[in-house]
Amino acid sequence: MVKEKKKSPDRPDNTAFTQQRLPAWQPILSAGIVIPGFVLIGLAFIGIGVGLFITSRDIQVLEMDYTGTEASSDCNKCAITNTKNCMCSLDFNISTLFKGPVFFYYGLTNYFQNHRRYGVSRDDSQLYGDLTNFKDPSTDCKPYRVDSNGKPIVPCGAVANSMFNDTFKLYQNVNGQRNLVPFDGKGIAWWTDYNVKFRNPSVEPLKNAFNDTVKPLFWTRAVYELDFSDPSNNGFLNQDFLVWMRRAALPNFRKLYRRITEGDYKEGLPAGNYTLEISYNYPVLRFDGRKKVVFSNVSWMGGKNDFLGIAYLVIGSLCVVMSMVMLIVYAKFKFPEDN
Amino acid sequence: MRKRPTLPTLNAKEDMESGFTWEVRANSRHYQKQKQKKSFLCFRWGRYSDNVVRSHKYSPLTFLPLTLFEQFQRAANLYFLLMMVLQCIPAISSIPWYITIIPLLTVLTVRGLKDLVTDMARRRSDSEINSRPCDVLISQSFSAKQWKDLCVGDVLRIHKDQVIPADVLLLCSSEPHSLCYVETADIDGETNLKYRQALNTTHDELTSQPSEEALRAFDGVVLCEEPNNRLYNFRGQLHWRGETFILDNEHVLLRGTVLRNTTFAYGLTIYAGADTKILRNCGKLRVKRTQLERVFNKVVIGIVLSVLLIALFLAIGCGVFSSQVIRQREVLSAVAVFGTPAYTGFLIYWGYIILLSPAMPIALYITFEVIHTIHSKFIGWDLEMYWQQADAPAQARNTSLSEELGQVGYLLSDKTGTLTQNRLLFRQCCIAGEIYGDASVIAEEVKPMDLSWNPFSCGGLYMSAPSLLERLRGQQCPISRQFFTALALCHTVMAQWKEDSPVYQATSPDEEALVGAARELGWVFLSRTRDFIVVSELGVSHQYQLLALVDFTSKRRCMSVLVREPDGGIKLYCKGADTVILERLQKDCPNQERTERALELFAEACLRTLCVAVRSVPEALWEQWSKTLTQAAAMATSERDIVLEKLYDEMERELLLLGVTAIEDRLQEGVPETIALLKQAGIKVWVLTGDKKETAVNIGYSCRLLDPETRLLDWQELRQILQSPDPQVSFAKAGCTELWAENKTISRAKTSVVLTGSELAEFDQRPEWGSSFMSLAEQCQSVLCCRVTPSQKAEIVTLVRKYTSSITMSIGDGANDVNMIKTAHVGVGLAGVEGGQAVQNADFAVSQFRFLQRLLLVHGRWSYSRISLFLCYFLFKTCGFALVHIWFAFFNGFSTQSLYETWFIALYTVLYSASPIMCIAIFEQDVSAESSLKSPELFKCGLKPKLSIHVKLVLHLLYAVYMSLVLFFIPFGVFYNTAYDFQTMAVTVSMAATFTVTIEILMLTKYWTKFNIAAVIVSVIMFFICTRITHSSRLFEKSPVDYYFIGASDNAFANPVVWLTAFLTTWTAFLPSFTVHALNVILSVHDKHKVHSSSSQPVELRSRFRRGTSLRRSSYAISQGAGPGRLINSATSIRRKELSQDQKVTTSNTITDIKL
Repeated sequence: MVKEKKKSPDRPDNTAFTQQRLPAWQPILSAGIVIPGFVLIGLAFIGIGVGLFITSRDIQVLEMDYTGTEASSDCNKCAITNTKNCMCSLDFNISTLFKGPVFFYYGLTNYFQNHRRYGVSRDDSQLYGDLTNFKDPSTDCKPYRVDSNGKPIVPCGAVANSMFNDTFKLYQNVNGQRNLVPFDGKGIAWWTDYNVKFRNPSVEPLKNAFNDTVKPLFWTRAVYELDFSDPSNNGFLNQDFLVWMRRAALPNFRKLYRRITEGDYKEGLPAGNYTLEISYNYPVLRFDGRKKVVFSNVSWMGGKNDFLGIAYLVIGSLCVVMSMVMLIVYAKFKFPEDN
Repeated sequence: MRKRPTLPTLNAKEDMESGFTWEVRANSRHYQKQKQKKSFLCFRWGRYSDNVVRSHKYSPLTFLPLTLFEQFQRAANLYFLLMMVLQCIPAISSIPWYITIIPLLTVLTVRGLKDLVTDMARRRSDSEINSRPCDVLISQSFSAKQWKDLCVGDVLRIHKDQVIPADVLLLCSSEPHSLCYVETADIDGETNLKYRQALNTTHDELTSQPSEEALRAFDGVVLCEEPNNRLYNFRGQLHWRGETFILDNEHVLLRGTVLRNTTFAYGLTIYAGADTKILRNCGKLRVKRTQLERVFNKVVIGIVLSVLLIALFLAIGCGVFSSQVIRQREVLSAVAVFGTPAYTGFLIYWGYIILLSPAMPIALYITFEVIHTIHSKFIGWDLEMYWQQADAPAQARNTSLSEELGQVGYLLSDKTGTLTQNRLLFRQCCIAGEIYGDASVIAEEVKPMDLSWNPFSCGGLYMSAPSLLERLRGQQCPISRQFFTALALCHTVMAQWKEDSPVYQATSPDEEALVGAARELGWVFLSRTRDFIVVSELGVSHQYQLLALVDFTSKRRCMSVLVREPDGGIKLYCKGADTVILERLQKDCPNQERTERALELFAEACLRTLCVAVRSVPEALWEQWSKTLTQAAAMATSERDIVLEKLYDEMERELLLLGVTAIEDRLQEGVPETIALLKQAGIKVWVLTGDKKETAVNIGYSCRLLDPETRLLDWQELRQILQSPDPQVSFAKAGCTELWAENKTISRAKTSVVLTGSELAEFDQRPEWGSSFMSLAEQCQSVLCCRVTPSQKAEIVTLVRKYTSSITMSIGDGANDVNMIKTAHVGVGLAGVEGGQAVQNADFAVSQFRFLQRLLLVHGRWSYSRISLFLCYFLFKTCGFALVHIWFAFFNGFSTQSLYETWFIALYTVLYSASPIMCIAIFEQDVSAESSLKSPELFKCGLKPKLSIHVKLVLHLLYAVYMSLVLFFIPFGVFYNTAYDFQTMAVTVSMAATFTVTIEILMLTKYWTKFNIAAVIVSVIMFFICTRITHSSRLFEKSPVDYYFIGASDNAFANPVVWLTAFLTTWTAFLPSFTVHALNVILSVHDKHKVHSSSSQPVELRSRFRRGTSLRRSSYAISQGAGPGRLINSATSIRRKELSQDQKVTTSNTITDIKL
């Protein structure tokens, strides 16, 4: 063997790879596999579609616009005057029990939170609690990096600056009495955001970390005093702030505001009349946006989503129809008429 | 100091008229050196080249700038550079810069290194050639120098078997009359020796005294034409000692030829280096790009242009959007707007170019290169193309042409050394109607005859005919004895003595074979002088007086000798083409019928035949004839030729037919089978040879290129057709005039064109013939071009390239094929015994012609189908993934927001979708190697694909657009007006994109090796792993800005809606492809069946031959010019030493006599 190798050193190796003789599985598709396979996939899709559709149908959603463009709306006064802390209310009626846990969202339309310029205008290191970025925010934050006096803005950037600042209070009207429906604002942000991505600087008290910085121009309160009721819900770890900082995918979006999980409303919102008190601050009319509030309960698939179920049904039926067409073509082809 | 004699004054006017503007002064190195070509940077001056071959491109200093310059000439590289620069500008960078720079640097480095390595190899081979030794006369004596030191005007001494270093004027040689022999195999492919002779003057003057001194004093001036590429022409004058001598081709030894049978020769260098005729014939090295690459480049340019256009539209959209937003420039403005809308739009334009640039990623080019390299490796690794004898595997020297092999439409082949082995074997003969030997047995398997009784036998006779031996030795059959006497006498071969046996030097290999065969059988040609030929007949030495020798010309097609036999009788021995000899036979010649039948049999076996005949000439006739001959010889030239012809004709009459010889021109192994297979595969095979027409046609028949019933169209007919107003019609007519042509299609398919070089030259004057010739040639079975020079070969290739869209492939083995190999789309060099210049310049090198089968039908076909699959899929996957941003733009304010995480963009083409398609491009086999060879029709798909690659690529691009629409709009529908955030959507779309391209590859792969399976699994797993890693908190803590997607995948992968959306998107995106595949499966049942049933038929290798007179092919390979008969007659070539050798022979003969 060695001798032979010496004789012909340039002889190529005789391996399956070099000789392109690798053992291989060569599946041969036939009409007998393709058509039933197609039907099966179609049926599976229809099945999923039906499941999704039924689930989605059972989810209750109540969506209300409170932009106040219509004169009849109570919020009309706030929308046009643009006064600070303008209060308006929205009355509505629930005819059947709104099963809990109920999720309460606010929604915005025509709001391009996914605009690139807007999206990059933030400083993740600053939000991670890096004090050097408090003094010198990243240039990405422009034009919301420093104020007119040259003081650094914390949290800097367009995203933080434009934080949604309407607040809501929900009352159930029972026999002329207004019962406050307790909102649960804990854990509405992503776990990773709350625990990893955002971090307050380890300075006690928190306020001191923000010396020599200014609050975002649009804000009325500094980031360390967003929530007076719960001191731990302040700074970058404020839940509403976290929710806002997670950018929406598309120009029409909702963001979770509160959950209704406590007290009498644990099982949901009973039928009756309700009043939503709105502290109207956020101007949307300039960009033709709308503001909405949404009550919804959830299933395993999250919120209501008719599109997904219908799309599954459509694609599934399309597959079945196509497989029928193929069957006909196959029959014609295999057994020509003149035969 | 020796005073130089003044140069003869020359009339300048005269020079201008004769066109001899090239002046060479012998022995004046200083003068010539001054005029030598020199260059500095791009400035060049001087006229005369030095003798250095420079084929390398780079020097250490110029490598970096040159290679960068070359690489950025590729539009793609420049485009990527631009992308990279754009990405470095913060204002517009939508993807980080490092995503492009790393691949770009890799590409540049790899390409650069590759170029460097090939250039080093070229440098090495150059220096090997440049440092070959040669003897140059410098100052007083010959000193050993190297080729590169040689300069024009130097006097050289060339030794036997040395390659001549430059174009040299022969001054004198060691042989009588300063004759010398050269082998021109490297120039025109002919292996027979050519003779060259010095001028009488130089011979007389320079050999009379000790040659070194005389040569030193030689001060002639050569005036000749400017360097050119005409190999067979040379015109010039030698001015010496006040006299002028005319020089022509016969006085010149060309570079690359080999001196043979001449101890040494002295010469004056006329042209050196780049001026020499062979280098002028070499053609320019051109960078070869494959057709597919060109199509693909067009598509890429299309993609780039559409990206620019789309970016423009999006930028306009952005301008409009920002002009709407700009109205409310307040703190609340959700969109930070800088500057005017126009300026924003301008920035966004570049941003979108960057964002859409992954549609045409640089990885495509890297992968393309890698796949090409692996395909080339496969060619080298193939054991079926490995030639054990020479330990030579096939070799892909140009690694980027492998898919071109699958589209070859024209194969242009050299003859000598490529189709034939250039070994002529005496296989059969027919004497007195009796056939001896059997050509159906392979030569090597013939049982050798016992020739031990013959001391001169030295093997090489592949014929077994004991009965013939018996007859010869038994002295029973005078005809057979005469037959061999004729073979031993009637030729122009010279005998040279080496170790007591004669070695024959023939100008034609046929003659050598005939004389050799006679020697083996006991009729040994020992020597010739001017007047005598000595032949040992079965050990008894006889001396024949040579009375006259009438040499071969291609017009006469026969030769004869007139000898006086030892017993005093005068005999005329004649051999020649059957048509000529049979005409001249005496009436009622015995055995004529049987001999003619034998001729047919031999022709059927594709043997070259010659008839041998004899005539007893009465003394009176001879005397009268010779008298007329002497008179005629004294006549004026023009008259003389006519008279001589008549005289010869008078003598070559009343012949008695002795027999027929049959010589086999050995084909390379497997040539007929290969050609049959290639023809079945739809490839047109043309033969281009420097050899004679007869030989070429003969080989055409024997290698089954021409069928026996093929009608040969010669130049006269072709010209008539081409001149006619409608060549197509007249071509059909030309076919129909033949009786056998029953319908047009057959007649067309069975017609072949035979052309010679001089006829081809007419094409230069009539360029309009080119296209009509090619359209005719397309319908012909084949075209044979004979007597063509290397540059003509290249011109033919150019002609084919120009007028057909087919891929041309040239195959050859010698230096004369280099030009054509370079010119064709694909050049194949046969790794032969000698030279290797063809291989040096070829794109592929194989050892045997028959390996072409596998190279084309297996490797070529596979490579083509793999690479077209690869290109289509690659564009599909990259465009489908990148174009999503167009649709997304409408919903994010045209802000160049990417729908993906930057890491996904970077890794998608490299990790998540690269390896499965790589595996397809490497392993895919739609048909096994065996079935590819069994059903060569499959190859036609590459020639005329059902869907051209253009259409395929465009369809895939449309599919990609569809995919991008689905990829965006289904998740859009799901996530619209919900609480899902942007990052979740990004992960969903990325997942859907990865799934779609993976499921597409599942459908495309037909040949699942373990690597394919692993690649698919690994790339999907990689997607999940890498996504988790880039979204992990650890990386985020290191650099929050780069890994801001933290937690996105954790949330997304836990969400059933994300999965359901991804599955729905994947399936919807895949649906059209699946439908097409399914329909293909359903509709192609019958097609598949057809292929399988037809593939069971074996290739018919031996076609049935129809018998008929048209079959007969008698030919004789003679040299282009007049044969050496003139020399023999004038006795100039007879050695002075000959006499002493004669004595030696006679003594050795007596010994054998005693033995017998």
